[in-house]
Amino acid sequence: MAEVLNVTFRETRGKHNAKRLRKAGSIPGVLYGHGEKNVSLAVPADQLDMLVHHGSRLVKLAGAVSESAFIRDVQWDTWGTHVLHVDFTRVSEDEKVELQVSVELRGEAPGVRQGGVVEQLIHEVQLECPAGKIPEKIVVSVNDLELHDSVTVADLKLPAGAAVPGDQTVVVVQCVEPVEMPELEAAEAVSGEPEVIGAKEEEDAAGD
Amino acid sequence: MALMPKRVKHRKSQRGRIKGNASRGHRVVFGDFGLQTVQGGWISAATIEAGRIAAQQYLRTEGRLYIRVFPHKSVTSIPLETRMGKGKGEPDFWAAVVKPGTVLYEIGGVSEEAARMCFTRLAHKMPVRVRFLRRRPL
Repeated sequence: MAEVLNVTFRETRGKHNAKRLRKAGSIPGVLYGHGEKNVSLAVPADQLDMLVHHGSRLVKLAGAVSESAFIRDVQWDTWGTHVLHVDFTRVSEDEKVELQVSVELRGEAPGVRQGGVVEQLIHEVQLECPAGKIPEKIVVSVNDLELHDSVTVADLKLPAGAAVPGDQTVVVVQCVEPVEMPELEAAEAVSGEPEVIGAKEEEDAAGD
Repeated sequence: MALMPKRVKHRKSQRGRIKGNASRGHRVVFGDFGLQTVQGGWISAATIEAGRIAAQQYLRTEGRLYIRVFPHKSVTSIPLETRMGKGKGEPDFWAAVVKPGTVLYEIGGVSEEAARMCFTRLAHKMPVRVRFLRRRPL
């Protein structure tokens, strides 16, 4: 079920106005899609923070506009604590959207007890999914993962109507024997200097 | 072998200033966990290498370490007991200029506990204060 977000129209533009808006407890945002006009919005910061931290992607906008929207992108500050800006796209619940969903491993692989190492090669998958059925994350159980076994994209358990486009044989997680790392060499003394672009040509020109 | 550019446009560079926080390179992109600077500064190629060795010795065969900074800046120095003048010194070492918020290293394929332990060892080598960072989904 989509969460409700009370939004207001935003008349102001520019970074100074955006800063003022953030100080007042709102986050600047924009709504676009479906070939309709872009709408600049102001979203309450506390409501948006809660949504983002819970991993919700589908929201129901209320107030200035009333329609379902998909959180397309979120801009964060340097420290990852405050949302600076949010992008919404217009969607209907049955419409398919493309998004990146994180892949999370669960359980303990029997292969580890046999001396193997579990390697997660893909952390996020591109998912085509109806907007109403967007999963928070895709959970992969590694309880049956023996040594030299792997889980591919085709093995992922996706919600109904969802699909991962592209190559289905891509390995998501595998259990392999640990690779011996080469002996760490002591840092050699920096030998020489990097080549200076154009230096040789200048020398040649001076010699002539 | 310490990191160094292969080709440069100029052998020596001016000191420059570090203003503001990092607006790029401040998120965990390749691994699961990252080490983020809280202060700005110069991190020499030797320091980056020392950090890499400290982390790799802890990780051994598990997981993967990513180095997110590169020493692009040449730092010059003049020999001891040299009189004033006679121009700028010769390049001494190479350093990465980092703004507060830059992710220095990332680790993937290990548990959070192991990553924390690894970064604690690594953080002792750093000339700047650092903090632990997780990958964020959105």
